[in-house]
Amino acid sequence: MNDNQSLNLLDRALGLDQQSRPWLLSGRVVLVEDCVESTASFVLHHLIKRSLCLNSSNVIVFVAFANPFSHYDRVLRKLGCNLVTQRDNNRFFFFDMLMLQCPDGDEGKSEVGLVLLYEKIRKTISVLPEDKKSHVTVMIDNISLMEVAANGASDYVLDFLHYCHALTSEFGCSLVTLNHEDIYSNTETPTFILQMEYLADILIKAEPLATGLAADVHGQLTVLNKATSHALGSSRNKVYNFHFKVKENSVEYFYPGSRG
Amino acid sequence: MAETICRTLRDGGLEGEHAPALAIKDSVASSFGLDVFSHVLTQLSNYILAGKSQSRGLVVVAFRRSPSFYVNLLKERGIDVNHKWIRILDCYTDPLGWKELLNVKELSQEASTLSSICRDVRDLDKLYSSIIELGKGLIGQEKGRFSVAIDLVSKMLRHAPISSVAILLSNLRSHDQVSSIFWLLHSDLHEVRVSAVLEYLSSMVASIEPIIATTIGKKGDLENLSWLEQNFRKGKFHVRFKRRNGRVRVMCEELHAELSGINFTSVSSEDGIINQRLIPKVQFNLQLSEKEQTERAKVVLPFEHQGNGKPIQIYDGRRSISDNKNEETLVSTGILQTDEDTGKGEIIYFRDSDDEMPDSDEDPDDDLDI
Amino acid sequence: MATIKPRLSSFSRNLSVVPSPQTLGLKCGPNGTTFVSSGIPDLDKILGGGFPLGSLVMVMEDAEAPHHMLLLRNFMSQGLVHNQPLLYASPSKDPRSFLGTLPSPTASKDDKSRHSDSEQDKGLRIAWQYKKYMGELHQNSYSNKDDKQVFCNDFDLRKPLERHYFSAQRVDCVGIQDSTNLVVLRDHCATFLAQFSRTEGSSSCAGRIAIQSLCAPQCEHSKMEWDMLSFIKSLKGKLRSSNAVAVITFPASLLSLSSSKRWQHMADTLLSVGAIPDEDKEMAKLLSGYQDMVGLLNVHKVARLNTQVPVILEATTFSIKLLKRRFLALECLNQAPVDGSSGSSYGTSGSCSGSSKTLDF
Repeated sequence: MNDNQSLNLLDRALGLDQQSRPWLLSGRVVLVEDCVESTASFVLHHLIKRSLCLNSSNVIVFVAFANPFSHYDRVLRKLGCNLVTQRDNNRFFFFDMLMLQCPDGDEGKSEVGLVLLYEKIRKTISVLPEDKKSHVTVMIDNISLMEVAANGASDYVLDFLHYCHALTSEFGCSLVTLNHEDIYSNTETPTFILQMEYLADILIKAEPLATGLAADVHGQLTVLNKATSHALGSSRNKVYNFHFKVKENSVEYFYPGSRG
Repeated sequence: MAETICRTLRDGGLEGEHAPALAIKDSVASSFGLDVFSHVLTQLSNYILAGKSQSRGLVVVAFRRSPSFYVNLLKERGIDVNHKWIRILDCYTDPLGWKELLNVKELSQEASTLSSICRDVRDLDKLYSSIIELGKGLIGQEKGRFSVAIDLVSKMLRHAPISSVAILLSNLRSHDQVSSIFWLLHSDLHEVRVSAVLEYLSSMVASIEPIIATTIGKKGDLENLSWLEQNFRKGKFHVRFKRRNGRVRVMCEELHAELSGINFTSVSSEDGIINQRLIPKVQFNLQLSEKEQTERAKVVLPFEHQGNGKPIQIYDGRRSISDNKNEETLVSTGILQTDEDTGKGEIIYFRDSDDEMPDSDEDPDDDLDI
Repeated sequence: MATIKPRLSSFSRNLSVVPSPQTLGLKCGPNGTTFVSSGIPDLDKILGGGFPLGSLVMVMEDAEAPHHMLLLRNFMSQGLVHNQPLLYASPSKDPRSFLGTLPSPTASKDDKSRHSDSEQDKGLRIAWQYKKYMGELHQNSYSNKDDKQVFCNDFDLRKPLERHYFSAQRVDCVGIQDSTNLVVLRDHCATFLAQFSRTEGSSSCAGRIAIQSLCAPQCEHSKMEWDMLSFIKSLKGKLRSSNAVAVITFPASLLSLSSSKRWQHMADTLLSVGAIPDEDKEMAKLLSGYQDMVGLLNVHKVARLNTQVPVILEATTFSIKLLKRRFLALECLNQAPVDGSSGSSYGTSGSCSGSSKTLDF
């Protein structure tokens, strides 16, 4: 994919139009939230594509709890990105966590499982060549399944996320996680999702429209971007809201009432 | 007003008094807590370096951000960072000892001369002694005091119960070498009791609230979007000072998030609404209508005019011998003394100054050390 | 992708069909997926072909009506009729006895059988009874002839499935009431799915798992929120690499809101069934065909394997009807026109009204 490909609304909301080298999301933590009615996996797919196609030094460490490699491979291929090639070139590391299940009855084992996962991620990044170390994006799909794998030891999952956060300051990598907001908002104390929201620099939330689902508009995205002072020319704390329609080869983003 | 907070922290505590403690509270709807913390940190650092503060050094207990973040933050704001006046207790890099467990070699960082790593944040006794040790290291052999800044008590509370945290904070406050202390808390992560405990332990509470109160869980539409935008850029900054005289001073400002940091401005509107909320709802009518106000102005205060033709005298701080003899004070019963009772005694009242309003709130006992 | 499109019946969609006889009961779907039938022709159409292999279908039960059983029975029967091995689990002490209630396919030589007049019905009935005494050979040939190229059968709920279909080799039954942490069920699933593990290019045999009323309160495991979730997660993980489909029904109202959402997110295809009030005059006036309505079906999510595009349906709420009290049909909800004519079935109607404005389903 050429760099001249036009950036869409989501890219602008993320500030990707400001600077493409180095990967602008370096050191940032992105939280993607969705719900049963509107899933936001397409945001992850988009970020994978942008990351791998914008800059040849970018690397992705993908921790998958939701789908096997074949699923992402097929999806990204339609978006114009060949994950098999990227994987062979050590630019796309895929950790298949579908069968990870910490043995129950002993919370300590859940902690150990997560510590080992952290080690795996850390090691993968630390052995990369210097020019790629700061261009890593760690992606987790998704956190609610990680909690299930840890047998509900949500505290350890939060600890794990803290250590991943520490990776962003140690290596300058970025962290992108997906979580289902409606699981937590239905409880009296949605602390888990709030903890994640506090950690995030950028929050991308997918929701259905107030009028429900339609063939032309699949939902709306709200992006809350706490731009840091490192971003050139951007002002602090911007909010974006626009509609989206997901297609096989791309996603259309547009403001309500306009298309294109 | 944010300046007042920083000045209070700068001035520190008196001998035998608990160190002033600032609790910064925010919530997800208006999450400027870290920015306000950075602001206070910067201001206090400036005072320390300029030698204007009671404390000679600062110990930062970093849970939420790395030591190098703080070093860079201060450098960006033109503050010379060196180990003579600042130490960082690093509870961010390896709070649970996972890295130690995995035998990970730490990369050497610039901040490492300033920072000391804590690998078990669950042990609050050890944490307390580490803070004190770092502080004493700053002060050295001489007598002196240091300030403590804890960037996120919410993270501390993830690994320790509120009772232990309360012990740590109150021990810090009462340590004779601690000049002042401030911390940040995300109030919506905790039960109400936890917030209440931390407010109890503080002498100033700064709450950051959304500029527009909205209900959570609504679907986005244009109106809600603009609220979201406003709340994302601005917030309300309420401060409650517990003063030495036992009164509470309440102040309010607006804060704006800018690239360079946080700016405080005075509240644009709706002051009255804030004051209204402070007055508890009672059966009595505490407000005065205009007519009532003019009537009140007409009332002659009982001690100013005895009706004896003498002019109003203003106390200038010196008493003449002759006046002493005449001076007697009687407890007012609220009844205007009339000529009939002059046999008993009289109340001679001198106002402190001419511009002192009757019923002033200014309390001469303001600086009383209780 | 093969583009041969033989029109099997007026109810089929323009999806390519693999013509090979070995792949009976399988149909190619988009993005490299393969469909198996749900056993309900209307549901297959609504879902765009059927249930894709490797997916997890979850049905939220309604505490007031057992409509999920209708879906489950047809699903199970369809698999057996297509020679697809079945693993069935339920809280019952004797799950195997449930098999006796599975419906049998009707003679499909007349694929408008559900609309045929009563005389033909009578004729069929006699023939069926006669067949009973004809011996296995005839039964086999009869059923083979009928099933040969039918992806989805019409099941007659009044006629039980012939016993030979659920011989022990093909059906494994597991009781889940006493299993504390679902270990037994997990093991059965693992062994079962190992038979269908997917290797490149092979799709000769498919399996079906039907789990009834997971988290039912009489079960030991119903108290263990995370055990159930980890079971579903591990089942889903194994399904992804198998040529099998699992249908799980569960009483969603008995889970906490947060847990229920977790379950819903785990599903690839998410359906829910609902009860309707009995003898409701208001509803009878508002909805056409109320008399034949048994309940409601809602489609919340449709499986999207190997793709990021969501499936947006024109309508998501359907009425469950029993035509002639024997055949399951799903119809869009239509408000009754003034003259009170009956509603139209999904496959033949032009456009359906999404839902009525005054009624809240």
